[in-house]
Amino acid sequence: MIKIWSMKKNEDAAAKKKPKTSAAQIRVQKDLTELDLPSTMKTNFPNPEDLLNFELTITPDDGMYKGGEFLFTFTINSNYPHDPPKVKCVPKIYHPNLDLEGNVCLNILREDWKPVLNLNAVMVGLQYLFLEPNADDPLNKEAAKDLRENRSRFAQNVRTSMRGGYVGDEVYADVRPKA
Amino acid sequence: MKITINNYHAIALWRWNLKAGLQQHQPANAQPTAEGEEEEEEEDDDDDDDVCGICRVAYDGCCPDCKTPGDECPLIWGECTHVFHMHCIIKWLDTESSKQQCPMDRRPWVTAGAAAPPPDAPPAPRQAARVA
Ligand SMILES: [Zn+2]
Ligand SMILES: [Zn+2]
Ligand SMILES: [Zn+2]
Repeated sequence: MIKIWSMKKNEDAAAKKKPKTSAAQIRVQKDLTELDLPSTMKTNFPNPEDLLNFELTITPDDGMYKGGEFLFTFTINSNYPHDPPKVKCVPKIYHPNLDLEGNVCLNILREDWKPVLNLNAVMVGLQYLFLEPNADDPLNKEAAKDLRENRSRFAQNVRTSMRGGYVGDEVYADVRPKA
Repeated sequence: MKITINNYHAIALWRWNLKAGLQQHQPANAQPTAEGEEEEEEEDDDDDDDVCGICRVAYDGCCPDCKTPGDECPLIWGECTHVFHMHCIIKWLDTESSKQQCPMDRRPWVTAGAAAPPPDAPPAPRQAARVA
């Protein structure tokens, strides 16, 4: 028995020397293995060693944003899953629930986050924003106003913006897939 | 024939007694209809039954901040019947965004009990005696 305990101590010491995988990393790893994404969403890891910083591309196959390719960055801090992942939209797009800096208004990324949610839930929620843009609680007030007051004008504005055109005073990013 | 045992290794297995914990705390929580349905749903969800919803590590394992499972990293029940590693739920309840709610159902978290290895119903130890 004594022998076993001293062996265990050595193991502990060895474990301490190795760089510790953080709780956030362990949880993210589990979330990633549980990902069950439709073909309209793809993850990409610019640095495969770094699971806490990655990209998601959404290419909606339905709705007003069909035909666009929307790149998001995910930044996960060491307090995950107690803190939600930080998600940003890279291209500047015309959408009531995204501001011009790419911040996203999605309830589960903010007030409704809870640690039992996972990355899959967040990604599915993001895709939903493209299928059902929502004029309540907007980040882009002009876009929300257009959506509320004149849905067909809003749809026209979405098309213009996705080609890299102007809507009002703002020029938006061309999000048509390259090649 | 005569056998002399020179040496043996005893091996024991333990598990948190989840069932006992839940049964113990359910009567206090006997609300009809809606809740009954919810619980049925959970039972269907076999895969997730044995892992802490916060860290996704098995209940019999320990939270990511601990090194060894056992008394040092106990489980805790809410009155809503949800179970977490005590360290995981405390960490969540300490955050402002938790609003002191259970992360599963968003009901106010009320601790119903914490698990200690049950003294009355010890898990059957598996013993392997080796004759050397
Ligand atoms: Zn846990
Ligand atoms: Zn612990
Ligand atoms: Zn609960």
